[in-house]
Amino acid sequence: MNSVRIEDAVKRFGSTRALDGVSLEASEGITGLLGPNGAGKTTLLKVLATVMSLDSGSIEIFGRDPSRHRHRLDIRRRLGYMPQEPGFHRSFTAFEFIDYVAILKEMTDRKARHAEVDRVIALTGLEKVAHKKIKALSGGMRRRVALSQALLGDPRLLILDEPTAGLDPEQRLRFREVMSRLGEERSILLSTHQTEDVAALCPRVIVMNHGKMLFEGTPKDLREVARGSVWFSEARAPEARLSWRTGEGVHRNIGTAPPGANLVDPSVEDGYLLLLGDEAFIEAAWRRSRQCAGRPWFTGRYR
Amino acid sequence: MSWHVEPEMLEAYAHTAIDDAHAYSIEAHLVSCGECRAQIATLGDQKELETLWTEINGAITVPTPGIIERGLLRLGVKDHVARLLAATPSLSVSWLGGLILALGFAVTAAHLSSRGFLMFVVLAPLLPLAGVAVAYGPRVDPTYEIGLAAPLSSFHLLLVRASAVLTTSGGLAFVASLALPQKDWAMVTWLIPSLGLTLASLALTSVISPLRAATGLAFVWVSGSALALYYAANTAATAEDLFGGIVQLVMVLVTVASVALLFGRRGSFERGVRH
Repeated sequence: MNSVRIEDAVKRFGSTRALDGVSLEASEGITGLLGPNGAGKTTLLKVLATVMSLDSGSIEIFGRDPSRHRHRLDIRRRLGYMPQEPGFHRSFTAFEFIDYVAILKEMTDRKARHAEVDRVIALTGLEKVAHKKIKALSGGMRRRVALSQALLGDPRLLILDEPTAGLDPEQRLRFREVMSRLGEERSILLSTHQTEDVAALCPRVIVMNHGKMLFEGTPKDLREVARGSVWFSEARAPEARLSWRTGEGVHRNIGTAPPGANLVDPSVEDGYLLLLGDEAFIEAAWRRSRQCAGRPWFTGRYR
Repeated sequence: MSWHVEPEMLEAYAHTAIDDAHAYSIEAHLVSCGECRAQIATLGDQKELETLWTEINGAITVPTPGIIERGLLRLGVKDHVARLLAATPSLSVSWLGGLILALGFAVTAAHLSSRGFLMFVVLAPLLPLAGVAVAYGPRVDPTYEIGLAAPLSSFHLLLVRASAVLTTSGGLAFVASLALPQKDWAMVTWLIPSLGLTLASLALTSVISPLRAATGLAFVWVSGSALALYYAANTAATAEDLFGGIVQLVMVLVTVASVALLFGRRGSFERGVRH
């Protein structure tokens, strides 16, 4: 049985359609949501986490209708949710905060609750900072605290909104390890800007933009979108829709390849960029330029 | 480590065949003695030992809670309720300090003039109203969204926090009123308006945002009181005249209507309150 089923979901904010006729089904395994800012990923995840209702369309989670009180409660008992911008009671320690959320998850027995808090702390590798105040933790550590609270109670459905944002490479690898283990026996829906995470983790990927689903398939399928459209050249190819100089000094081009072009195997990011076009490219380039300490390394029409 | 637990004692401990006093003493020793820990690992039922270790570990690693939480625990509040309340902004030390300061000024003003007493009656109901407004909701509770996605009833959480805020604010205002110059029933004329305004703000929170509800009600209360004070400026009207009879009756009706609306619309809190 599908854990999640949404049909023709519409959510408006004023004149903006954050969700514009989205339909999807998800069962066990990890589904990655990709899309630029404002694509509708967060709205979709909020709806699935039962914290936002739809204007029209239907939704079922574990065969339950979240608009009905009893059903919503049943869903929430099997749900773990990490919002995009999780808030913290900063005077709490990491342990106290996770313990607080455990109480919100109806764990009232102190011993059992503390054992569960210890379990998720160990799962996310927070043992050394468990008794530090949250206000003293780094952004990456706080993200892990937010992830820990989502894992409380071993939920059957995990909804994670940009869980890898702000994590350093080592933390991201640990996150992937934890997720791949958890994804074997439950449904995980996660949104991300990192195509590497999707390629490494998600058997299924959905690309969204302007509230619509543009693509649904495997990471391999997404790579195939760019098959025959990615090539290397010494200089920026005029035919290229998107072009940037790589660390090796050659230009990686995406677009309609000229005859005899040095075609290369496309990546998930190539497929994503080609699918979304200019908008995604600008965002990816901006993000990377920030990682390069303000020295944009990409070339092309947006420089 | 200069001494170790005798093997017979350790064996008895491993099989939980020992009195509490000796068990506590051994546990205290085990925390710092690796040799005895290694010894006990070879004895007794492993599952039972794991349970024991979980308990010991829990006791030594869980940090001391904050001052508010400790106070609540001492008052006999259950530990999970105390933690829920410790996360309430209007039950923080700084908020309570501000409350005491405001009441201190109001009592001082009451001693300086008869108008000062009236100011106390106007101010006191605003304190729980403000406290409840910042006790729950998307703008004031950083974990609001996580809490909404959790199974614990949001309505239940709201009531627990509002009750605690009402009790602390009302309690402090009552203590302050004992220091007022007037020693008749007029010194508690603020009590029913406090209840009415706080419950009205909770009921309105099912329709509008908590901050808007509290701000609107505070405006109505202060404006009404200011008008009453203005028209009574040249008379010998007392607090009983201005805030007695009719005002008390109206506030009782507001309280009853608010309770009815609040419980009638409790389902709306589970879907989330407005920002």
